[in-house]
Amino acid sequence: MIRRTRTFVGPLRVVVAEIPGLRSVVTSLGLDAGQLAESGGRPGIARLTAQTMLRGTTRRSAQEWTQAIDALGASSRLDVSSQQAVFHGQCLVSDLAPYLALVAEAVLHARLAQEDLEFVRQQTLAQLEEDSRDTRAVADATWRELAYPPGHPFHTRTIGDEAVVRSATVEELRGFYDGNVIGSEPLLIIAGGIGQAAAVDAATAAFEAWPKRPVRPALSAMAASLASTVRRDVVVPDKTQCDIVLGWHGLPRTDPRYVAARVTNMVFAQDTFASRAGNVVRDQLGLAYYVFSTLGVSPVAAPWAVRMGVNPENVARAIETTFAELRKIHEGDIASDDFELAKDKLVGELDVALESPQGVAQMILEAELFDLGEDHFERYPRQLRAVTVDEVVATARDFLPLDRYALAVAGPPLAA
Amino acid sequence: MSGDLPLTRQLPNGLVLHALEARHAPVVSLWVWYHVGGRNEVPGTTGMSHFLEHMLFKGTPLHPKGDLDRLLARYGANWNAFTNPDVTCYFETVPRDRYATALELEADRMREALIAQAEVEAERTVIVSEREGYENDPSFLLGEEVQAVAFSRHTYGQGVIGSKDEIKLMTRDGLYEHYRRFYSPANAYVVIVGDGEAEDLLLQAERAFANVRGDAPPPPPKAPEPPQQGEKRVVVRRAGGALPMVQLAFRSPRATDPMAVALSGLTVLLSGGGGAGEGASGRSSRLYRALVDAGLATETEASFSLMKEPYLFWIEASLRPNVSHSAVEGAILEELARIADAPLADDEMARVRRQMLAGTAYPTDTTTGRAYQLGQLLSSGAARSIGEWYDRLASLTAEDLRAAAAATFVERSRTVGWYVPEAA
Repeated sequence: MIRRTRTFVGPLRVVVAEIPGLRSVVTSLGLDAGQLAESGGRPGIARLTAQTMLRGTTRRSAQEWTQAIDALGASSRLDVSSQQAVFHGQCLVSDLAPYLALVAEAVLHARLAQEDLEFVRQQTLAQLEEDSRDTRAVADATWRELAYPPGHPFHTRTIGDEAVVRSATVEELRGFYDGNVIGSEPLLIIAGGIGQAAAVDAATAAFEAWPKRPVRPALSAMAASLASTVRRDVVVPDKTQCDIVLGWHGLPRTDPRYVAARVTNMVFAQDTFASRAGNVVRDQLGLAYYVFSTLGVSPVAAPWAVRMGVNPENVARAIETTFAELRKIHEGDIASDDFELAKDKLVGELDVALESPQGVAQMILEAELFDLGEDHFERYPRQLRAVTVDEVVATARDFLPLDRYALAVAGPPLAA
Repeated sequence: MSGDLPLTRQLPNGLVLHALEARHAPVVSLWVWYHVGGRNEVPGTTGMSHFLEHMLFKGTPLHPKGDLDRLLARYGANWNAFTNPDVTCYFETVPRDRYATALELEADRMREALIAQAEVEAERTVIVSEREGYENDPSFLLGEEVQAVAFSRHTYGQGVIGSKDEIKLMTRDGLYEHYRRFYSPANAYVVIVGDGEAEDLLLQAERAFANVRGDAPPPPPKAPEPPQQGEKRVVVRRAGGALPMVQLAFRSPRATDPMAVALSGLTVLLSGGGGAGEGASGRSSRLYRALVDAGLATETEASFSLMKEPYLFWIEASLRPNVSHSAVEGAILEELARIADAPLADDEMARVRRQMLAGTAYPTDTTTGRAYQLGQLLSSGAARSIGEWYDRLASLTAEDLRAAAAATFVERSRTVGWYVPEAA
């Protein structure tokens, strides 16, 4: 069972979970600086800002900063997702204070200089070019264009739009940084072989200078809906396999039906082996090596999508088969063993996740971000167990309609 | 980190068991390693070990197809399998009270897999699909060519997944024969790490595997690679990638060679131990500074695997647009020569040592990671424990790194690959 303590260091919420016996500590610093914070029409600014923050501080150059990180042997990265930018890291227990001091320097004293932006801009443009021939990236980008209107935060992948990347200015990044990185309600998770007092001391020393700002309104996204079926096939030259994204708009993590949706997702396609779609598409028919679905975790409805890699000759059959399995769920044709298996797996994974400090930190991050309650870790397995078949059917009908979805296929030309 | 030797016991049937305690979470991680991989195959049967790995999930008389998957899923297990050039491995991390079931499943499929004809046919297209997914990746396409050119005799040149044509021609009888030959207690070992006393973990495993019978282990393949006498080069021209790429593969010694630990250290010096790209760490590495910071490449990676026999030290770089292959290749070679010429300064050596040691410590803070790391060291004979390997890394000197670089990064033992994207 996860036990956490919560402390505030200025605006920073610090949550600590001690795992005795470990030599390392995992940290996740969550900043409300993800895609949702990007103003309409400027996709990519969140990631550009995050990457530029890693190019030096007002106190030392990028090379000096990274040498200091590497001198600790710390593992660190700053990832941008739909909701947040999260500074993930791992260091030895003895190095938590100096490691957090370096993270704090990058976050609170980012330089965001013109030359830094230019470096990140060129790297990003190269990545966009590479992605243009990557079937998974093309399928994902195409699906987003189909599923969301321009201006919606999920219309574009986090890497952003090429025109935005080319035109972004230092002033724009600084504005985003000031409003969303510094001005966020930051959250720091610390999980590993360190006690609460020592962890809070390290966090306090690093982040006590975080300026307090007025609490800003909750992030939201413009309304979006799928009124019909939309499909686009994109030919990517000289490829062997097609990547497919079939998806819907999902539901917010705060929706009361979200836990049932997680069970629905597991019954349907989350796992290549334990879910219906994976079982039939891969195990019974041999149409694909990978088939899985993901349900977004976000304060707004985030993509709920099935992804698979399929030979072009099998694309139609793989899609038909996936829909056939979904149709069965709509009709309540769910074997009791499949239903119980889905719940068993979701509950069992909670215990197994305790083996890793990353797993513990991830569970705490979700609980804290969505205010799931002090007793969440006791209550959540019971919530999963309490989901009924009727709720799974209702969730599928509400959020995975058979006649309204977006479908993108990227790869070799499809057979006529 | 000395003193973490696993509790080890060999059963009368030849199976070797290793157990370690990890008490921070209520789980047990069970790993069964078989000494069979890509190197045990001959032309015409490439990919057979990997194909077989898939078939071990397709049922036994006691546990029909789907039984194992569903049982493990029901426990929330973290489970999978992989095949590399040297070994095939199956693992599951399960809640502590499901350990006995995991043992029973693994002991059962050690000798009892059905490998039914119908399942071979159904799985064949899955494996073709797996290969086709790799073929979409320029790095795989180039790497496969470089590996094939780097070895003239040794079966390491064949890779692991096999050619698509040979996957399509694989027979049920061939697979079954391969299975009965290599899946035997005497040709395997088991690593258990988990929330229990090592002696107890071992005793339970002993009970599960004691009655499994098999033949003596087959002799290792004999196809020694002759010394390379000069640089080899390969160019792959495809429309399937947008950015050019350079790979360099240097002949490198086996895991038991005293130089192997220094070559592991060189991967950290060159690229931070993993890839040097978008992460915040690893950017002080030599190749990040020489290639990425210099605007020549978007990302770069150096890798060295602990193998049973002499293999390859790999370096890869994805080029920025409009940068020439020769410029990047030249920058890499220049950096390698610099490392071979003079020992690192004290501060850089201290940084590299810390990264090496932390990089060894982090995975062992998960039960699964600790089991994998121990099993991997044992598979190649690199060390008898994680602690032994850690101590060897800790004792590396700047001169050790320099000497390893000077011995390895030489013209006559390298293969250079260029991936050249072409217009569609």
